[in-house]
Amino acid sequence: MFITEILNALQFSMTLFLLSVGLTIVFGLMKIVNLAHGTLYMLGAYIGLSIWTFSDSFWLAFVFAPIATAILGALLYKVLFKFIQRVDPMRQVLLTFGLIYIGLDSVRLIWGSMSHSITTPELFSNPINIFGETYPTYRLFVILVGITVLLILYFVLEKTKMGAMVRASVDDHETSQMLGINTEKILFYTFSLGCGLAGLAGVTVAPIVGVEAGMDMEVLVLTLIVVVVGGPGSLKGALIGSLLIGFVDTFGKVFFPELALITIYAAMALILIFKPGGMYSRL
Amino acid sequence: MIISLQNISKSFGANNVLKNISIAIDKKECVGIIGPNGAGKSTLFKIISGSLFQDGGSIIFNDANIDKLSIEKRSRLGISQSFQSNSLFNEMTVKENIMVACSQSFKVGWELFKSLDKRTNIITKSYEIAEEVGLTEYLDFRSDNLSYGLQRQLEVGLAIANNPSLLLLDEPTAGMSNEETKNIVKMVKKLSTYYTTIIVEHDMDVIYSLAKKIYVLDSGDLIFDGTPNEVKNSKLVQERYIGIKQ
Amino acid sequence: MNAVQYDKKLRLQLFIILCCSAIFVNIFGDYFTRFLLSEIIILSLFAMSLDFLAGRGGMISLGHAMFLGIGAYSTAILFINFNIDPFLCSLLAVVIGLIIGYLIGFIIVKTDGIFFIMITLALGEMFHSWAYTNDFLGGSDGISGILRPKLLGMDLNEPLFFSYYLLILLILVYAFLAAVTDSPLGRNLDAIRQNSGRVLSLGGSVKLYKSASFGISAAIASLAGSLYAQLNGFVSPEISHWTVSGEGLIMIIVGGIGSLSGAILGAVVVHIIQHEFSKLVDWWMLLMGGGFILVVLFLKEGLWGLILKFKNYIIENK
Repeated sequence: MFITEILNALQFSMTLFLLSVGLTIVFGLMKIVNLAHGTLYMLGAYIGLSIWTFSDSFWLAFVFAPIATAILGALLYKVLFKFIQRVDPMRQVLLTFGLIYIGLDSVRLIWGSMSHSITTPELFSNPINIFGETYPTYRLFVILVGITVLLILYFVLEKTKMGAMVRASVDDHETSQMLGINTEKILFYTFSLGCGLAGLAGVTVAPIVGVEAGMDMEVLVLTLIVVVVGGPGSLKGALIGSLLIGFVDTFGKVFFPELALITIYAAMALILIFKPGGMYSRL
Repeated sequence: MIISLQNISKSFGANNVLKNISIAIDKKECVGIIGPNGAGKSTLFKIISGSLFQDGGSIIFNDANIDKLSIEKRSRLGISQSFQSNSLFNEMTVKENIMVACSQSFKVGWELFKSLDKRTNIITKSYEIAEEVGLTEYLDFRSDNLSYGLQRQLEVGLAIANNPSLLLLDEPTAGMSNEETKNIVKMVKKLSTYYTTIIVEHDMDVIYSLAKKIYVLDSGDLIFDGTPNEVKNSKLVQERYIGIKQ
Repeated sequence: MNAVQYDKKLRLQLFIILCCSAIFVNIFGDYFTRFLLSEIIILSLFAMSLDFLAGRGGMISLGHAMFLGIGAYSTAILFINFNIDPFLCSLLAVVIGLIIGYLIGFIIVKTDGIFFIMITLALGEMFHSWAYTNDFLGGSDGISGILRPKLLGMDLNEPLFFSYYLLILLILVYAFLAAVTDSPLGRNLDAIRQNSGRVLSLGGSVKLYKSASFGISAAIASLAGSLYAQLNGFVSPEISHWTVSGEGLIMIIVGGIGSLSGAILGAVVVHIIQHEFSKLVDWWMLLMGGGFILVVLFLKEGLWGLILKFKNYIIENK
């Protein structure tokens, strides 16, 4: 039972990590909170659903749904986000708030208001026995996806020239621009990548939580909390924040169901009051 | 004596910006603080106004120690400042700017709900101040539509709105044309007859024509103090400051 | 933030027009239009409280619906558990909102910009999930059985009277907020939004001004919550969900931020779109979301800005 819960918490943390990492870097770069990030997660799940229905292959969905959301993200950036960088925070937030409605309705119009589910791929259909407890293999796969993405991002951000430029832009936007770094291009790619990762999160959890309109709202606030608690713009912050929120949420629901969410929100409020930039702030 | 700085020191990391500065200023005195860039005059100014706290030493204002007081508390005691770069309320008219500045000392009560536009005492006061800083003609102009020079005048106007007992002016002529500088020098000269004034300035001519006493800072040390004439004739100052400038 | 409105005359003119149309609707309307009118008036109270906070004070709260919840739940509990007169319940809800708002404001006003938005979001969601899981507050079902007050021999359970009662409250709140906006407190709030450092250096207690305004705004939101509970007869956690705050912000953007009576206009328009268009077209949310985006992007001063242009046009062509 205990190991199951730990693994569940880890799986949820990794989903949150996939969601929050894109958001946090975009926040770090543009100082914009994209409330529609959850919408891309939902779209990832729905697009995955369609690909899965037509091709009968989860793996095609797993590969192409994130690419589709990344392209959607790129479009969003080109038609909207590019132009709202100098707008005041309220307008930015409300613009992305409007996108939530559009996302919800589009999903309802295209896929209907019924909830759907995706069958777990053949490969992971049998549960595994860990220390005497049976555990669904697919959830282990989700954890693996999260860790893989984490390692790749860490490598790219810390070891490559592109990563160094991203970090520099997060730390000091103006100076990097003066140094000749094409921040515009960096923004474009990181934004699209972030949206792609949100889509990846959506399609990977679809076999676990199902696909339905409104699944975006369930994760949105938690993702925002991860970003704020971890410190906007920080990969490490996103990881630690995801683990923290993932574990508190999972174990909280088991041990004191009444207080779980409240604890999380209270933690966020306290961190914001005493450490306004988050735990690992790069701002 | 209205304010005395006793052995003020301040450092940022290993950089000692101010070293044991002691200055005492009498009522109605107009004092200038000069020095080359990086001499520490801005830091000293910020320590007096309360936007920075010193590491060592103390500040006595009207016989009370004000070391720990925040910028707003010092302001309520009567230490008022104008900023080096204009810091106005851009969406408001000149009149509204001054009225807001005048409205800081209101009592809690029903009085609170009385419209600011209907408070005759504040309106009269704001006309007086506009007159003082030469902005009577511009009362209904939005402050961001004023020319730079007029904005500088309003900047000083906000600082004198609360009848300060000590007026701090941070480079009042910064970035102004000759004509505008002349205007503001005339204005400050008049103001300095009834306010105790400390002026931090780059422009030596401005300081010579305004200040009765001048303190010269160099690399955090107070190297000289005296009347404008004494400063002009001081070899030390010429070497350290004017020499550098030329 | 730019283009915050301050035109006292137009503010009053627009308000009078809106009130007259409300009276008209109330006289000639049926049960459903009166219910809709009541809803709109309550949302207008909420929108005005947000407008004062966000428009004048620059404090953008994405958790303001928490105070709707606080007002609604305290009314429900005071009425059902303590048998207090419904009218008194609303008054107490205002006081409770004021106190809690002031205390919360005191703690959070030092944060700024996006962090203020995030912290209000966190606090709002904290309240929402608390209400959702707390048995005393009725959990996800909420509390039902809340009655409307009887005043001066009139039973406000009669929709016609209740709408008038709400309208009177709307006028009172408008007069109060307009007075505060024009008062030294309101003008200083304006000044703080534009340049808080300068207000500090002039000796203004920025923190006090901001937390007092947060309290005032919270008290009015709490009143709106209390009235909403009485209108529907029940309260559920949904009232304090963060999307309600988001919709409130949309209302003031549509109406024209900082104009006070524009907030009412925004509430009218947004609520009618939400509830009437949804009957006409299936894809109304798409329309609404798209509409929001277009308004935020291209109609910077909202409907108020259009009215202002129209008024100037008429004056010029006279």
